[in-house]
Amino acid sequence: MIENGLALLPHDDRSWRLEDYLARGGYEAARKAITAMTPEAVVDEVGRAVLRGRGGAGFPAGMKWGFVPRGAAGPKYLCVNADEGEPGTFKDRLILMRAPHRLLEGMLVAAYAVGIPKAFIYVRGEYARIAVRLEEAIDEARAAGFLGPSVFGTAFGLEVVVHLGAGAYICGEETALLESLEGRRGQPRVKPPFPATVGLFRSPTVVNNVETLASLPGILGRGADWFRERGVPGDGGTRLFSVSGAVRRPGVYELPVGTSLRTIIESHAGGPPEGRTIKAVVPGGLSAPVLKPEELDVPMDFDSLAGAGSMLGSAGIVVISDRTPILDVLHVTARFYADESCGKCTPCRIGTRWILKIVERLRAAGGGPEDLDLVVRLAEGIRGKTLCPLGEGAALPIRALVTRFRDELERAVAR
Amino acid sequence: MTYAPSPAAVLRIERTIALYPEKPAALLPVLHVIQEESGFISREAEVWVAAKLAIPPIQVGEVLSFYGMLRRAPGGRHTIRVCRNLSCHLAGAEDLLAFIGRSLGIGPGETTPDGAFTLVTAECLGNCDRAPCLQIDGLDQGPVSRESAAALIEELKAHD
Amino acid sequence: MSGTKRVSLTIDGRRVVAEEGTSILAAAGAAGIDIPHFCYHPGLQVEGSCRMCLVEIEGLPKLELSCSSPVREGQVLWTANEKVREARRDVLEFLLAEHPLDCPICDKAGECRLQDYYDLYGRFPGRMFEPRERRAKMTPLGRGLILDRERCILCTRCVRFLQQVTGTGELGVFERGLGSEVGISEGAAVDNDYSGNLVDICPVGAITAADFRFKTRAWFLARRPSICPQCGRGCAIVVESVEGYPLSKGERRVYRITAGEDPAVNGFWICDLGRSGRRDIDERRHHRLLKRGEPAPGLIWPQAVAEIAARIRALPGPDRAARMAVVLNSRLTCEELDLAKRLFVDRLGLTRVFFADRKPGAADRLLITAERVPNAKGVIEAGFRPRLPSLEELAAEEVLLLFGSELAAHYDEGATADALGSVGSRFLFATHAGPLDRMADLVVPLAVPAEGPGTYINIQGLRRTFGRAVPPRQGVATGVDVLISLARSLAIDLGEAHAR
Repeated sequence: MIENGLALLPHDDRSWRLEDYLARGGYEAARKAITAMTPEAVVDEVGRAVLRGRGGAGFPAGMKWGFVPRGAAGPKYLCVNADEGEPGTFKDRLILMRAPHRLLEGMLVAAYAVGIPKAFIYVRGEYARIAVRLEEAIDEARAAGFLGPSVFGTAFGLEVVVHLGAGAYICGEETALLESLEGRRGQPRVKPPFPATVGLFRSPTVVNNVETLASLPGILGRGADWFRERGVPGDGGTRLFSVSGAVRRPGVYELPVGTSLRTIIESHAGGPPEGRTIKAVVPGGLSAPVLKPEELDVPMDFDSLAGAGSMLGSAGIVVISDRTPILDVLHVTARFYADESCGKCTPCRIGTRWILKIVERLRAAGGGPEDLDLVVRLAEGIRGKTLCPLGEGAALPIRALVTRFRDELERAVAR
Repeated sequence: MTYAPSPAAVLRIERTIALYPEKPAALLPVLHVIQEESGFISREAEVWVAAKLAIPPIQVGEVLSFYGMLRRAPGGRHTIRVCRNLSCHLAGAEDLLAFIGRSLGIGPGETTPDGAFTLVTAECLGNCDRAPCLQIDGLDQGPVSRESAAALIEELKAHD
Repeated sequence: MSGTKRVSLTIDGRRVVAEEGTSILAAAGAAGIDIPHFCYHPGLQVEGSCRMCLVEIEGLPKLELSCSSPVREGQVLWTANEKVREARRDVLEFLLAEHPLDCPICDKAGECRLQDYYDLYGRFPGRMFEPRERRAKMTPLGRGLILDRERCILCTRCVRFLQQVTGTGELGVFERGLGSEVGISEGAAVDNDYSGNLVDICPVGAITAADFRFKTRAWFLARRPSICPQCGRGCAIVVESVEGYPLSKGERRVYRITAGEDPAVNGFWICDLGRSGRRDIDERRHHRLLKRGEPAPGLIWPQAVAEIAARIRALPGPDRAARMAVVLNSRLTCEELDLAKRLFVDRLGLTRVFFADRKPGAADRLLITAERVPNAKGVIEAGFRPRLPSLEELAAEEVLLLFGSELAAHYDEGATADALGSVGSRFLFATHAGPLDRMADLVVPLAVPAEGPGTYINIQGLRRTFGRAVPPRQGVATGVDVLISLARSLAIDLGEAHAR
């Protein structure tokens, strides 16, 4: 774990409690925001920090807040997206485990900025045991007056409810999350309207990722410029890079946005194990198209990765070694999206399963180039036509695997 | 006999419902309470929950069938959830899953005849730096080898 | 309409004007441009899941759904350029890949959107060679509805109809991904009076009606509009019948009644009572004259009417009116009621003109009215004050004309037979066989409303004129025919109505 003195995450698993967090300066940033700044000033500060959403979509946080109609009567909600399900990503888990108070502090900043009195933390069902610690942190915060009807003794109050999901990747999509929170199947909604105007229980709602919110105390505490300058133009700050797969030191690394992928993999995660070479790298969670070894100098920021034909997404880096058949990767990928498709819209519901059927057959019994052509064609058929980004997240990586590793795949399926 | 959760569970359920401005929103949390207590959610429980939240029973059924962690039929005393997504696959999850299946004598989605273990597959448990990983009764384990998996299973059998 | 802003946009190079807030799909449709769609239905909330209605809007990188995108001033969009056509082919291909090739045995053939769209926008060979999902093909849903899950394209129109229109919510979507399927909650079958609409709105043959299954083919059906006579709502209906081939020459059968559209009356829906009215058109009909309950071969209705006229003329004067009564009903059309008023009240001077109608039932919050007659307001407009006669009143008459057999719904059969037995001459004009047949000297077969034409005024006071949806069988007369003929036989001039 590289620290860089930014202390997003404490070094060990013991110092998550309130007293340790306070000793590290915890809740000071939120106190400053709530007692000494106007909500508009907070929104401005976050906007100037160029904090882009850390859940996958990368939407600028300040801008999203600005879509909530200011002075709108009636309830407003903050939904924390702790449904971390993008394969290869495990950084929100770490924040929930090691720095739950940092999340809560960030939630205070966000809720104050937008004028929201109630927040739900949607935690994926598989993190149930982690949610227990989160509840404890909430209790600590409430007892200290950092949550509840009067935060820091002011007129601003925030109530927080932890809400467990039950095993559906799609609930990481913000409108599916809202549907799930309202007690229904997690199927995305047609947008517009957007959650900022019609969200949870039909009220204006902000949905933010755990890491996005956990970045706020740093911004408010040390200033927007400090945060922004750590990154690159258009994409500020540091972020948590999850690294796994064929590397010597898998783990979560907090590094400046714009650090090169090669640096992360080789200098921080130790590079591939003895005797192995890198064949491919997934840079931003499974939904990000794969990159080849010669492309690893790409800076890890949203624009650079988009320019390289991939995406930063959730910054989940998975290193694939020469020992792993790409056909395996294709199978795992196809299976994931077919399993997790919610089934609402035609192209994703049928396309992901059709692709899986072909790939399963290829892996079990082989096939020919026309099968690979068809997989690419079907991925194109899904692309751009689905109700939510899951379809895109299925189509783009599958297409990339087949087109970029065509020779290997043709050899693998020819029997 | 009409189904009802235990008094302690009912208390938890009522406290949970009170946290939400609209009752139906408490559906998943309430189902979790019931599944924790009974191991699964029976048809009678579906009807009970629907009445408690003033929603149509069919909505409970729809939700139950949508979410992968909710069970409509009894499972084993222990649930072994093995991840088979990318990082875990790279670390040998396929082999691990097959090994565990052979050890228990069941396939994914099945429960051992003695009712001890249910084996299920999972998609990315968010524990990729400890691949291959699994969860036993919701507790993360990883990295898991054939040996450590066998040891975990033995330990559970011993304690049962 | 004043106050509603109009928006001007360009669709496929044509200038289109629409009200602000209209969806692109609806605006295009009104301008004669059909954008294909499955899940969208004007009577239901937008779902946006089938992805068939995608169009290209200038300036936007991705194709957009026309069903959920409102028109905007100055928008330029294309509904059929290369990009859109490709997208449609892709969506169609996905649907067809998982769809069974049931057309030869599927009721929906000939009126199926999937077929139609493949014809218009597809015509490509299949390339799905993996095994298709196998599902249950004959799941009863309730009310005679059968679900074929292999054919279902998960448009969720059925689910949404029951949630949003009837509020009964018997259907839901279970499981996830391609495993998703429409179904009922165990033991809670579809059971509401609007279940028949589910067959109408299903774009494919996933939901079919047991009483239509395998009976005929859509392309044999003549579809003609009419007005439902089962209650006071007067919903627009479509009577679907086959005349001749593939039935025998001269044979006619009504196979189905489906919903017609009338925004002011029934919107897009009709109730199951209206649908079951199909049987009223064909079953238990009178088509021959009866004399004292027995068929009178060789006798045609103009002759019967002449006999009736002769009997009326034979009443001793001067006060014929005192010895004759007429029982009408509220299922008669405005035209028939107008003729009856002129003939019986104005010309013949009868004071005793009664009404015997179906008894009222329960109204619901949607379409069904308590009154189970289609023209109660028409009766008032014609100048009548309808009253059910007592049997004593009728027994005292010398000549009694009965239009319809509804009297039998109000009185015990034995008592009715006794009372009518005391009447000198009893003449019945009836559409269906009934208990009064044997009590009448003559039974003249009458046409039903579907054999129209006619006009009804519904419970809202809305006037609706309908044409002839099916031809009456030979020998069956309409009420208008009969009344005009009776007037002529009595040498009575009914004024301009006479010259119809």
